[in-house]
Amino acid sequence: MQLHPRFFGRNLRENIVSKLMKDVEGTCSGRHGFVVAITGIENIGKGLIRDGTGFVTFPVKYQCVVFRPFKGEILEAVVTMVNKMGFFAEAGPVQIFVSNHLIPDDMEFQSGDMPNYTTSDGSVKIQKDSEVRLKIIGTRVDATEIFCIGTIKDDFLGVINDPANA
Amino acid sequence: MSGEEEENAAELKIGDEFLKAKCLMNCEVALILEHKYEQLQQMSDDPMNQVSQVFEKSLQYVKRFSRYKNPDAVRQVREILSRYQLAEFELCVLGNLCPETVEEAIAMVPSIKTKGRAHDDEAIDKMLNDLSLIKKFE
Repeated sequence: MQLHPRFFGRNLRENIVSKLMKDVEGTCSGRHGFVVAITGIENIGKGLIRDGTGFVTFPVKYQCVVFRPFKGEILEAVVTMVNKMGFFAEAGPVQIFVSNHLIPDDMEFQSGDMPNYTTSDGSVKIQKDSEVRLKIIGTRVDATEIFCIGTIKDDFLGVINDPANA
Repeated sequence: MSGEEEENAAELKIGDEFLKAKCLMNCEVALILEHKYEQLQQMSDDPMNQVSQVFEKSLQYVKRFSRYKNPDAVRQVREILSRYQLAEFELCVLGNLCPETVEEAIAMVPSIKTKGRAHDDEAIDKMLNDLSLIKKFE
């Protein structure tokens, strides 16, 4: 954690912590996933003055809540967009795409104001704001985002908030 | 990460760091984030400006998908599940999804049935029963 000398003084510790929160919360790394919230500071080590700038680097050990989706993990998500290629769903900060190849074969795409996927007997419908249970089969990690590919073509996967299906 | 190709939650291959790390259920995360959000609220008038988008989205998500709202129930869920020698990750998936049948539980968490672990169908059934009881009495 790098700090400008103007932050030094009695409140050094608080300043380090608040800068850490500002810088780290909301970021995303491929290895650890999204840093959602810092929950505790374990210790703050000795500062090291950077040559030439006057900035000081402090090693900070902290605990945080992270969100990292795993391949093969089953989770629940909210559908955000439906089109003929498949649908997008969101689980917190993570975007998940379910291609129409990974939607059960008996579900057909219906276009219109509210595009959706519906079974032939109309009993199950996936549209915007539906809650679905899906399995993650692939992840792609960007600098600031994790993007997942999901499937609902397996046992016990699919819509969960539909009363007809519950 | 070299293990990227081998990552598979179904076989509990989720990387060393995450096997050792504490894994939280949605409902637990909801408690933590709400607590933090309240703290922020006390400090400033407009807390939504203070928090990151990731925080906001995560909070909405865990609130929507929390099976247990009451902090005591959340504690009980963890206590009951921790009696069954589950890995942290398995415990959380079960707590999040609340499967109703043994087959469903095995489909959700295939690793509970692998390699000579002491989970027969009966034990799983008992575990699911205990879970649904908490839900009922919440």
